[in-house]
Amino acid sequence: MEVRAYIIRRVLLIIPVLVGVSLIVFAILALFSPEQRAAAFITDIRQLRDIRGVIRSHGLDAPVYVQYFNWLKEVFHGNLGWSKTAQRPVLTAFFYFLPNTVELALFSAPLVILVGIWLGTISAVHQGKLIDHLTRTGAIVGWSLPTFWFGLLLLMIFYGYFRGLLPPEALGTQAGLLVRSEAFTRYTHINTLDALLNGNFFIFFDALRHLILPVITLTVVQCAMVMRIMRSSMLEALAKGYIATARAKGADEKTVVRKHARRNAMIPVITVSGYLFALLIQGVVITETIFNRKGLGWWWARAAVNLDVPAVLGSVIFSALIFVITNLIVDLLYAYVDPRVRLG
Amino acid sequence: MKIKWWLLLAMVLVVASGSAVLAAQAVKNPDTLIIADIGTVDSLDPAWAYDTASGARIMNLYETLIWYDGENTDKFIPVLATEVPTVENGGISDNGLTYTFHIKKGIKFHNGAELTPEDVEYSFERAMVQDRDGGPIWMLYEPLLGSHGSRDGEGNIVIDFKDIDDTIEVVGNDVVFHLKQPYPPFLAVWANTWGSIVSKEFCVENGDWPGTAETWKEYNNPEPGEEGLHGIACGSGPFKLERWEPGVETVLVRHNDYWREPAKLKRAIWKVIDEWTTRKLMIMAGDADIVYVPRQYMLELEEIKGIRVTKNLPTIDLAAAFFNLDINPEGNTDIGSGKLDGKGIPSDFFSDKDVRSGFAYSFDWDTYLKDVFFNEAEQPVGPIPTGLAYRNPKQKVFHFDPEKAKEYFQKAWGGKVWEKGFQFNMLYNTGNAQREVAAFMFKENVESLNPKFRIEVRSVEWASYLRELIQRRLTLFLIGWVADFADAHNFVHPFMHSQGDFSCFQSYNNPLVDELIWRAINTTESKERERMYHQLQIIYHDDCPSVPLHQMLRRHYERDWVKGWYYNPILPNGDIAGYLYSISKGW
Repeated sequence: MEVRAYIIRRVLLIIPVLVGVSLIVFAILALFSPEQRAAAFITDIRQLRDIRGVIRSHGLDAPVYVQYFNWLKEVFHGNLGWSKTAQRPVLTAFFYFLPNTVELALFSAPLVILVGIWLGTISAVHQGKLIDHLTRTGAIVGWSLPTFWFGLLLLMIFYGYFRGLLPPEALGTQAGLLVRSEAFTRYTHINTLDALLNGNFFIFFDALRHLILPVITLTVVQCAMVMRIMRSSMLEALAKGYIATARAKGADEKTVVRKHARRNAMIPVITVSGYLFALLIQGVVITETIFNRKGLGWWWARAAVNLDVPAVLGSVIFSALIFVITNLIVDLLYAYVDPRVRLG
Repeated sequence: MKIKWWLLLAMVLVVASGSAVLAAQAVKNPDTLIIADIGTVDSLDPAWAYDTASGARIMNLYETLIWYDGENTDKFIPVLATEVPTVENGGISDNGLTYTFHIKKGIKFHNGAELTPEDVEYSFERAMVQDRDGGPIWMLYEPLLGSHGSRDGEGNIVIDFKDIDDTIEVVGNDVVFHLKQPYPPFLAVWANTWGSIVSKEFCVENGDWPGTAETWKEYNNPEPGEEGLHGIACGSGPFKLERWEPGVETVLVRHNDYWREPAKLKRAIWKVIDEWTTRKLMIMAGDADIVYVPRQYMLELEEIKGIRVTKNLPTIDLAAAFFNLDINPEGNTDIGSGKLDGKGIPSDFFSDKDVRSGFAYSFDWDTYLKDVFFNEAEQPVGPIPTGLAYRNPKQKVFHFDPEKAKEYFQKAWGGKVWEKGFQFNMLYNTGNAQREVAAFMFKENVESLNPKFRIEVRSVEWASYLRELIQRRLTLFLIGWVADFADAHNFVHPFMHSQGDFSCFQSYNNPLVDELIWRAINTTESKERERMYHQLQIIYHDDCPSVPLHQMLRRHYERDWVKGWYYNPILPNGDIAGYLYSISKGW
């Protein structure tokens, strides 16, 4: 009962958060002139002659508060507006781009977290030794690598040098055509999952092949953060009295590390993992661009550059929702990992 | 055990890379053409689309009454019409006000329905009914109704449906167009995607305008995405729409009931690939057959085995630097003090012809064309680009001459410019390397003439650049024009007419120019037109409202197994893929 009340309270908190962020976005919009925003609709310089008409027909010359209430009214009718960059209604575009992003997040996040925890643990357990120096240096290098550069490097080697071995995009040409054929049912629009549900292993392995490079890119770049947090948390845990007690009682080192130290060191990692997962779900702009995986990050980045206001507003709302929900899950996980934590 | 896993992985990599190399030697996807481009489609509705990416898809889905003959921009072939109307065959009346098209029989739309003259009438009426803000349909209004569109500047509808209805009629198997005034490029206007013939039955079935007078206003100027054929298509072209995923890809599939021999390709796929390196690797791996290559990267694909590069493709584009003769001073920091005191410029600074000429003689075309375009561009002789009729190749042009520039600056504003000097900001849109170089070239060359001359070059985002342009706050702006149709009118109007697309933002107003432009477009006499366009080119040079900077030559990149591609500069994205009907893949 206590947990349910806590969840309801947290979910209700989403409403003021959403109103707040939408107000902030509209306030920022007030800084742009109608002409600047009309530029989003100018796909060809030859349209300039009708710029006034473009401004008028999109209501860009109305006061900002009028535009806000018009938008709010439409939202209550389930219409988040038309995204110029996606050429679809915002809600439809969200569900169109989401599966690609979720697929990447589903494959990357566990890997980032597990590798981060593993390396962090090794590093802490071997503090000051060669392996510690190597993992820490590796983490710094990974964290410092520009995603853009690293992704392109992988692509040049595994797609360019090895002639198409690990290609960009979400699917190859033939697999792409098969996925969209009538013989294939798209249950979730997540290619790997749908391929398994359809029992089509050609598509499954093709999708998997296309996932390898973006997943490696994200893992190498992102796992450094998890590793660093895990290491410091582990060092702190290993210095605690109960670890000395466990050792004094004759527990073997594996049990000490895995059962006593690592479980307690996990709490900060859970926080950062939740945040990391939320970030991945919002899309990773650079990775999605380099590997041409059209996901939320790619769409929202384009929308921001092109002042696609309905899409920007939609992105803010979806992001807020993702963060609120992820935070809630993290809080619930706290209570599970550490029974001393009480919700409420 | 661990070593075994690594060995296995290494073997898999070796086998996979080996098979990939072997596969690369064969034609990949032999019946499917893959085009990796950056342009996203705005709409698949021919009446709505005005961008080249949309046009490139539409011209392969739909057909027009007439079409360009191969690589020519001034010769046409009949497509849905039985012949190209001429005065000789009676298709064009002697006074140039009536055009009659005989419609071919037995042509089928993608849904199997037969194309009729009523579909042709509906297509043009539908386009004029839709007439969205910023769309291409002004090109139908100008010759047919002598106006710019269906609405006034306030957005009120100012025509009746009868006005539209009266201009197009079906007589037996013919479709007859009645023009408001003679319009020599009328056929050229029709031979583009906005002249596409749609299926009335399909449109009505899908909730588009039912063709009735009572309802037409409801379908005028729709919201984006609400145009009837936004994401669906039913033309009579060689390809059918299989799928359009906006921002991702467009897939066309062969129309097997096409009235000519079906296309050789089974499928054509346009993929939107933003990142250049990815596109480059795709064509190298054979996963793309044709790619868009930005100019700054064009040397990267030279001399690469398996990739064919076609160079020096002429364009009908023109870029220029436009002087703002009446700069909006309101809160405008780009004009400094707003006075001719050495710390700024007055609003009418560029209204002095000597100032404009001084700038024109300060531009170094040789260096510009070499550095920016690797000499794959030319200096235009005026507002009419190479390739169009009535361009006078002997027209006097400006050339880089610092002494002459100095001479003009010394005369400007009664000598005050030279004595006091000036200072202003010149803007260009971020990321446009050509405009950046041109702006800095003006700065450096003009500043070198007199230490009191100062120009600050600033880059701003495209949206801000457009805002400043529309609000007439830019001092000297750099912009380019791409032809709608291959006629001199489509260039002299935006470049010189007081209501032109660019000249209106620079407040250039010469009543003689306006008169000549309208007289030249409203006469069918070729000699008369030539005389007037030559006169306009002389005025353009003498008045110097803008400095034409370049007309570029393009390149086309394709895998060497692609056959049958041809280039016509007026086709949307013609340098990338163009018209796909003649294309095939193989050795």
